[in-house]
Amino acid sequence: MWFVRLLSSSIGKKLIMATSGLLLVLFLMTHAAGNATIFMSSDVFQGYADELHSHPLIVLIFSISLLVLVLCHVAVGLYLFWENRQVSTSRYIITKRVVKNSFASETMPYTGLVVLLFLSVHIFGFTFSPKHVDISVTVKNLLSNFFYSLFYVIAFIALTIHLSHGFWSMLQTFGINHPRYNTLISRLTLGIPLFFLLIFGGVALYFMTGLGANY
Amino acid sequence: MELNARVPAGPLEKKWDNHRFSNKLVNPANRRKYSAIVVGTGLAGASAAATLSEQGYQVKSFCIQDSPRRAHSIAAQGGINAAKNYQNDGDSVFRLFYDTIKGGDFRSREANVYRLAQVSTEIIDQCVAQGVPFAREYGGTLANRSFGGAQVSRTFYARGQTGQQLLLGAYGALSRQIHAGGVEMFTRREMMDVVVVDGRARGITTRNIMTGEIESHVADVVILATGGYGNVYFLSTNAMASNVTAAWRAHKKGAGFANPSFVQIHPTCIPVHGDYQSKLTLMSESLRNDGRVWVPKKQGDKRLPADIPEDERDYYLENKYPSFGNLVPRDVASRNAKEQCDLGKGVGNTQLAVYLDFAEAINRDGEAAIFKKYGNLFQMYEKITDSNPMKEPMMIYPAVHYTMGGLWVDYDLMTNIPGLFAIGECNFSDHGANRLGASALMQGLADGYFVIATSIAHYLGTNKLEKVSEHEQDFIDSRRVVEDRIAKLLKNSAGGPAGKFTVDEIHKELGKLMWDNCGMARNKEDLEKALKELPAIKQKFWDYVYIPGDTKEINQSLERAGRLADFLEFAEIMIRDALTRGESCGCHLREESQTEDNEAKRDDENYSHVSVWEYAGQQEEPKLHIEPLSFENVTPSQRSYK
Amino acid sequence: MSSINLTLKIWRQQNSDALGQLETYTLDAIHTDMSFLEMLDVLNEKLTKEGQDPVAFDHDCREGICGMCGAIIDGVAHGPEKEVTLCQLHMRHFKDGDTIVIEPFRSRAYPVKRDLLIDRSALDRIIQSGGYVSVNTGGTVDGNSIPIPSQQSELAMDAAACIGCGACVASCPNGAAMLFTSAKVSQLALLPQGQVERKQRALAMVEQMDKEGFGNCTNAKECEAVCPKGISIRNIARLNKEYLFAAMTEG
Repeated sequence: MWFVRLLSSSIGKKLIMATSGLLLVLFLMTHAAGNATIFMSSDVFQGYADELHSHPLIVLIFSISLLVLVLCHVAVGLYLFWENRQVSTSRYIITKRVVKNSFASETMPYTGLVVLLFLSVHIFGFTFSPKHVDISVTVKNLLSNFFYSLFYVIAFIALTIHLSHGFWSMLQTFGINHPRYNTLISRLTLGIPLFFLLIFGGVALYFMTGLGANY
Repeated sequence: MELNARVPAGPLEKKWDNHRFSNKLVNPANRRKYSAIVVGTGLAGASAAATLSEQGYQVKSFCIQDSPRRAHSIAAQGGINAAKNYQNDGDSVFRLFYDTIKGGDFRSREANVYRLAQVSTEIIDQCVAQGVPFAREYGGTLANRSFGGAQVSRTFYARGQTGQQLLLGAYGALSRQIHAGGVEMFTRREMMDVVVVDGRARGITTRNIMTGEIESHVADVVILATGGYGNVYFLSTNAMASNVTAAWRAHKKGAGFANPSFVQIHPTCIPVHGDYQSKLTLMSESLRNDGRVWVPKKQGDKRLPADIPEDERDYYLENKYPSFGNLVPRDVASRNAKEQCDLGKGVGNTQLAVYLDFAEAINRDGEAAIFKKYGNLFQMYEKITDSNPMKEPMMIYPAVHYTMGGLWVDYDLMTNIPGLFAIGECNFSDHGANRLGASALMQGLADGYFVIATSIAHYLGTNKLEKVSEHEQDFIDSRRVVEDRIAKLLKNSAGGPAGKFTVDEIHKELGKLMWDNCGMARNKEDLEKALKELPAIKQKFWDYVYIPGDTKEINQSLERAGRLADFLEFAEIMIRDALTRGESCGCHLREESQTEDNEAKRDDENYSHVSVWEYAGQQEEPKLHIEPLSFENVTPSQRSYK
Repeated sequence: MSSINLTLKIWRQQNSDALGQLETYTLDAIHTDMSFLEMLDVLNEKLTKEGQDPVAFDHDCREGICGMCGAIIDGVAHGPEKEVTLCQLHMRHFKDGDTIVIEPFRSRAYPVKRDLLIDRSALDRIIQSGGYVSVNTGGTVDGNSIPIPSQQSELAMDAAACIGCGACVASCPNGAAMLFTSAKVSQLALLPQGQVERKQRALAMVEQMDKEGFGNCTNAKECEAVCPKGISIRNIARLNKEYLFAAMTEG
C-alpha cells in the first residue's frame, strides 16, 4: 500500500520525524505562550490554567495527540539511530567531521533522550501533581528547588541544541531549501530554540534564583 | 588483405539514404535471436549497446572500469559540433562536411565524413531528449560557441563538461537497457582477444580484473569501441587505463590497422613539470576563443609575463594567421608552439610552454563574464599549477590527445574481419590526418546511435551464422593463448625484483622514444633510429620486467604490463607508418616535406591514400596496403588558415 | 617547487574476506607539485622495487571527472582540499613530516575488494532503476523545440555535475546515498524532458537506494562538504519533496 511504502522508506521515516517534530514545536509555542503568563502574576497564570482545565475534552484530545506524537518521534528516532549506528560504527580508524558546528546534528539522539527524560519528570511533577494544590503553587514549590530547576535549565539547553539542528532539518526534509529563504531559515533555526530557552528557562531561573520567592 | 570500402553509389547527399534503403534489415521479432558484444562504454560503446538493445538485440557490454559511466569520453570538455545552423551564420551539412574533411587535411573518406555531418543534427536532438543540460540562451534556445578550424558557431556545450554530460546521457540509456534486461553488463573486464570462427568474429576472451579469471563470450557480432592508443607515449591526456590492447589483438587476428601514425597533439595542455608525472591535463581548446597565445620576442626571456611590455611580445598565431588567429586548427597551433620553444622562446621553468593570456578579454568583457565562461577551467588550472589565470597568463604546451588512426573499417564500420566492427576513436574513418575540436564526441555518438545498428542489421541479414559455443576449439585456443601470455609476462618475477625493471620504467622509456622520434615533428633519420631502438626495449621488457603478485587476484601491475606489451608491438607499425608517409599532412609533419615558410606540405600525388597495415607474424615485417582516396565533391587544397 | 618527507599509514587488505590493517610506510623527497595519486605511484614503484605488493587503488582519468578515484585521507573523503577529487589533490597541501592516514571509502554497500579498492556497483543499480529519460534512439524532436530557461538549465547542470565517486556515502555518518540519488532525480525533475517519468523515477530510485543497504539521511551535511563537484544538499531537499509528492499521488 502506498502509505506503508511511503512510511517504511528512508525518506518516509524522516518525514515522520519532521512532521511530528513540527507539531511538537507548534505545541511548544502554545505552551510557551501559556507559560509566559507566569511572569505577569500568579493570579493570571492560575486563571489561565483554570480556564484550560475547564475544557477537559480539549485537554484529553491534546494529551493523547501529544502522547502519540512523542511516541512516534521517539520510536522512529531511536529506530533510525539504531539503523544508522549499524552502518556507521567503527567504519574508519580516523573519523573527522568536515562540517563546522556539527555538534547539534551529531548529538540529536542524546539531546533527544535528555528531553525525553525531562518530559517524564515534568509530567510526573506537574500533570500528575496533587489536584487539590493550585498549579501556581506547585510551580513555585517545585522550581524553587535549586537542583530541580537546574535540571530544567539543562534540559532546556538540550532542547535548544536539539532544535538548532532539528528545525532546519525538518524544513529540509519537507523540501524547503531555497537560496532566497535560506538566510531566514537559518535565523529561525537559531531564533526559535532561543525563544523557547528564554521563556522556559526564564521560568526556571525566575524561581531558582529566588526572584519568584514572593510568588 | 582485401580493402573494399563499400562506399554506396550515387551523389554524396544521397549515399546514406540510398545505403539505408538498400541495406538488408532484420525483422523486429527476429532480432532477439541475435546477440552482439560491445567492448567499451564510452560515447560510441554505450550509445551502440543501448541502441542495439532498444531495437531488440541481445547485447553484452564490457568495460574496464568499475562502472560504464567512467569511460574516458567523460573527460571531453569543450563541446560537440552539429550542423544545426541555429546561429544563422551560414552553417550547413555541406559546410560541416567540408570543414571536417579540410581539417583532416584530405586524408579521410568523403562519404563517411558526409554521413557524419548529416547525422550530427540528430545527435543534438537525441541528447536533448535524454535530458542533457546543454547551455541555453536566455530565451531558452540552445547556445553555441565557436571552435578551432571553423568560422561558424556550431559547437554545443554543457559548461566545460560536455563529454561528461553526453556520456551520462548514453550511460542513462545503457542503464535503462540493463534494467530492462536487454543488455548484460560486465564491468572490470579487460578484453584480451577476439575469437574468429570460420573467418568471422564470433566472440571475445576477457580477463576478469577482480578475480583474474579468463572468460569466453560468444555472440554473432563483435563491436569494438575501445578508444585510442595515445598512451603509447606514456604521457598523454588519456586516462590511465586507455590502451591499444583490444584493437591490437584484433589486428593480430587479421584486422587492418589504418594510419597508426596519425596522432593529434592538443595545443592547450598544462606543461609537464616533473618526471614523476603520470598524465597530462588538457585545458579545453575553447579557451582559445578569448585567450591570446604569445611568447616573448627575446630568446630566453626570464622576466615575469607582467613585466614584458606589449611590444616585446610575439602573438605569433595572430601574426602568422590573421584570419583564424588563435583559432587555427589544433595541429597548426601545436606545431607553432613547438616551433617557438625550439627557437628558445619558451617560457616557464622548463622553457617548454607558451602563454595563453586572458588579460585583453577580461578588459573587454569584464572579469565576471570571462569567469562565467571559463571559471571551472581556471579553477582546474589553479588547482594543478597553483596559479590563477585571471591574474597571470596560463602556461600551455601541446600534449598527445587523440589518435585519428585506428582499425580500418568500411562504410559500414566493419573491419576486414567479417562480423568485427570498430566505432568511435577505435576506428580510423572520419578525421583523416587531424581531428577538429568538438568532432570526437560527434563521431562517437554518430557511430553508436545512428550508424552501427544499420550495419549490424545488414550484416546479420546477409550472412547465415552457425551456432557456436565457448567449447569450440577456437575459443579454447584463444583462452590458452591468453593464459600462456600472462604466464610469460610473469615468468621473470619469481626471483624477486633485483636487477629488474618495473612496468612503468619501461613504459616511460617507450614513451620517450616515441615522443622524441615519432611525436610532433618527424624525420626519416629519427624514425629509423626509433625503429632500430624499439626491439631492444621490447626485449628488455620480456626479459626483465618485474610484476609482483599473482594472476588469480586483483593485480594492477599485471594489467599494466599486458597493455605495455601490446604498446611495444604496436609502436612498430606507428613508426613504420610515419616513415612510409613521406609527406606532411594534418598532425603528421615530416620535416622533409615543408613549404618555404615552414608549413606542412602535402603530397597528393603520392600519398592521397589510407595506409593500412597487415600483421604478418611475430618475426615478419608488417605489410602495407593502400586504400586510395578519391575526392569527387571537394578539391583538395593546401590548407591555409592565414 | 619544494619537496617533503611523509609517513603514510595505509589500509592494506588482501581481499574482501581477509582482515585488513594499517601499514606504515615512509616516503622521502615528495615534490609538492605532485598529485596525491602520483605520490601513491611513487610509493608503489618503491614497494615493487623492494619486492612488496603495491597498494591497489582505483583511478583512471586523473583529471577529476571520471569519479573512479577516492579514499579517506586523515578522516576526510578526497582529503583536506575543498571540491577536489583525490587525483586533483596536490601535495603542496601537506607539510614536511606529516603522517597521512589513508583508508578506503567505506559503507555497508561498498565492499572493500583490496586495499583502497572498493565495489561501488550499488550506485550503478540506483541509476539503472530509473535515473534516465526513457527515450529510444531516433525520432526525437528538434532540440530547440524544447525551450528551457537558461537558469533552469544551469540548476539542472549543477546537479548533473555529479561524477559518481561515492564520497558522499563514504563521508555520511549514516552511509546514506541521498546526495547521489538526489542529484540525478533533481537534474531530471528540473528539466521538461524528465517530467513524464518524474514520479515513477523518484519512487523507483529511492526504493533501490534503500534496498542496497545505504543508511538514512539525517541532514548532517557532510556529503555536501566533501563533494568534489560541490553538489548542494538543496538537491536532497528537492528529492524529499519529489518523493513525498510522488508517493502521495502516484499509483
